[in-house]
Amino acid sequence: MEQREQQGKTAAVKGTDMARKVRGMVKNIYQSAHEAKQAGGKVAYSMIMSQYDEILRAMDIVPLPTENFAGVCAAKRQMDRFLLQAEADGYSQSLCSYARIGLGFDSLRKEGSGIPDNSPDGGMAMPDMMLGSSSVCDPRYKWFQAAGRFLDVPRYNVDVVSPPIRANLEDTRDYYIRYQKEQFRGLIAFLEKQTGRKMSDDRLWESIRLCDEAWRLWYEIDRLRVAVPSPMPSQDHFSIMAAAHYYAGTQIAVDFYQGLYDEVKYKAANKNGVVPDEKYRILYGAGLPPWHTLWIFNYFESFGAVFVIENVYRAYDPVEVPSSVQDPVEYLAWRTFLRVTQWHEKASARSGNPYVEKLLEMAADYKTDGVVFHACRSCRASTLGQTHIKNLLGRYTDIPMMQLTSDMVDLRDYSESQWKAQIGAFIEALAARKRG
Amino acid sequence: MLFAGLDIGSTMTKAVIVDGNEKILAALVGPTGAEHRHLAFQVMDETVRKAGLSFEALDFIVATGYGRINVPFADKQVTEITCHARGIRAIFPGTRIIIDIGGQDSKGIKLNDAGTVANFVMNDKCAAGTGRFLEVISETLGIRLSDLALISAEAEGFVKISNMCTVFAEHEVTSRLAEGARIAEIVAGLHEAIAGRVVNMVRHLGIEKDVVVTGGPAKNAGLVKAIADKVGLPVWVPPEPFITGALGAALLGKGFAKRNATRNQTRRMESVTFFA
Repeated sequence: MEQREQQGKTAAVKGTDMARKVRGMVKNIYQSAHEAKQAGGKVAYSMIMSQYDEILRAMDIVPLPTENFAGVCAAKRQMDRFLLQAEADGYSQSLCSYARIGLGFDSLRKEGSGIPDNSPDGGMAMPDMMLGSSSVCDPRYKWFQAAGRFLDVPRYNVDVVSPPIRANLEDTRDYYIRYQKEQFRGLIAFLEKQTGRKMSDDRLWESIRLCDEAWRLWYEIDRLRVAVPSPMPSQDHFSIMAAAHYYAGTQIAVDFYQGLYDEVKYKAANKNGVVPDEKYRILYGAGLPPWHTLWIFNYFESFGAVFVIENVYRAYDPVEVPSSVQDPVEYLAWRTFLRVTQWHEKASARSGNPYVEKLLEMAADYKTDGVVFHACRSCRASTLGQTHIKNLLGRYTDIPMMQLTSDMVDLRDYSESQWKAQIGAFIEALAARKRG
Repeated sequence: MLFAGLDIGSTMTKAVIVDGNEKILAALVGPTGAEHRHLAFQVMDETVRKAGLSFEALDFIVATGYGRINVPFADKQVTEITCHARGIRAIFPGTRIIIDIGGQDSKGIKLNDAGTVANFVMNDKCAAGTGRFLEVISETLGIRLSDLALISAEAEGFVKISNMCTVFAEHEVTSRLAEGARIAEIVAGLHEAIAGRVVNMVRHLGIEKDVVVTGGPAKNAGLVKAIADKVGLPVWVPPEPFITGALGAALLGKGFAKRNATRNQTRRMESVTFFA
């Protein structure tokens, strides 16, 4: 008997043409890893936001973003067999679902002596190494500890550190930068051992230049999105982030964002909006996106509500590392420190919370009428504190806010009817506020 | 002028007709079911008759509740959150927090100074903290829903029900009975468990007075007391908590009519069924 999908998918609205190219780019991530393996190259399981992207590029190591693979599985609704395999292996349903998909995939790979049949985008190539990170959350290194032991693959974890909000940044900066540099130096030593080659500083500088340029362009694109009507929706954001995160440090990312910048600029200048009649502008406040049900953004748009900006994935604005820094590894350490402390000063002066400060600035700049949060049951890092942030935000703004609950990839935590009921009430709250 | 509100909840369908002075002319509550489109017709038809009116005399009809989309004769659909806010505000003008416990979900609604919805929360995909939870357990205990309050009033303490999954809680209650626990204290424990879950959810909004509890389970004084204890403030209950959503829908209908909102041009009172 054929399974019936729940209803609610609506026709696509006016997204950008560039965003449509991302599918091919994502597919290529996995394809290029397979090709690298065949050509004798090295492939590493990796985690985005670990601040080490350029190092991998400088050493010709192909990064394989395991979390993204989980997102791809969910977007294609092909996640169940991997989740169930991990759970059958004893991993709790409360463990990060990205990790469960990755662990389930590797378990099935080992069980069947090869990539599981019909894996999305050809599946993940067998890694030569696994590079965990303390950035964002603990499963991002515990996952690789478990998988590394299971597959007998060498692993390395980088500690990415951030001082407390009220720390004196002048006093602590040098210590943090020195520690961060040691972390990167340790990673480089590990990678040199795995590849049998020394890293070139010149290659690293070139990769840094490309990465910074891509992220600058991405920032400029988001600044164009202050335009009314919105020239680019959040659905596109959750696609186009692939270039900055999965092609960091490459010319591909720079060219992609240059093309997107030109397109968004044209759309903004010509008032070419996402929907014909933009009634409400929404801020995506926090939480990983529901990869399993991205069309839900279209459902909002059917009410004239457009998500115009997001507080996820483009986690930092460009930063200015002092020109006196001559060592590329020190540059990375400096940049990490400046990125993670970007909102400390403002937070310290007012709410005490950098996310709240960022959201308030976004709400003002982008003239948003409401904020939507997404609580993911298995993602503690992006969910813990969301209610606190929402309540704290409510002290400084009266725009309606809503928290939807599901998971980033596990469909079992999602209820379409409940979401639609909540969205309906939220739209009414937006309308009531507009009426005054 | 005359306005009707129809609230098709997961277990009960409620209808209210008000006049231009917002006076309730008739109200009716009937069970929902899989055939809720047919039930909508029946409940509306009976309410119109009860008020001594004709269907054609209604100036505006607003449908709400989870089945609101399937009301062919409604002029407009509005979510139950907005309708409860409007209905409760009409009864208790100083309300800031509404706790609505429905048949299969529960909600917290925060109102702003203007009386409109400022924020809301809903329970997740679970029957715990809803009327259904009480229904299932009362069946297990062999007592009527309407007797729960009286029975819990006899309790000197409560038996802790730690399982919040309705199915597992049912097992837990059976085990407690086997251990010799008193029914009154088990019922008090159920009220305690539901109140804990619902109030914890509503705390996300920041609780401030006045607090109103509505929905069918608000007729259970034992549950309301448990909620009041957890909230730490007096809580108010409408005279007929079943119909506040439908009342709000009818009152919103008055507002729509005043603003000359478009009416359903094909509106007619006819029975529609899913299973023709």
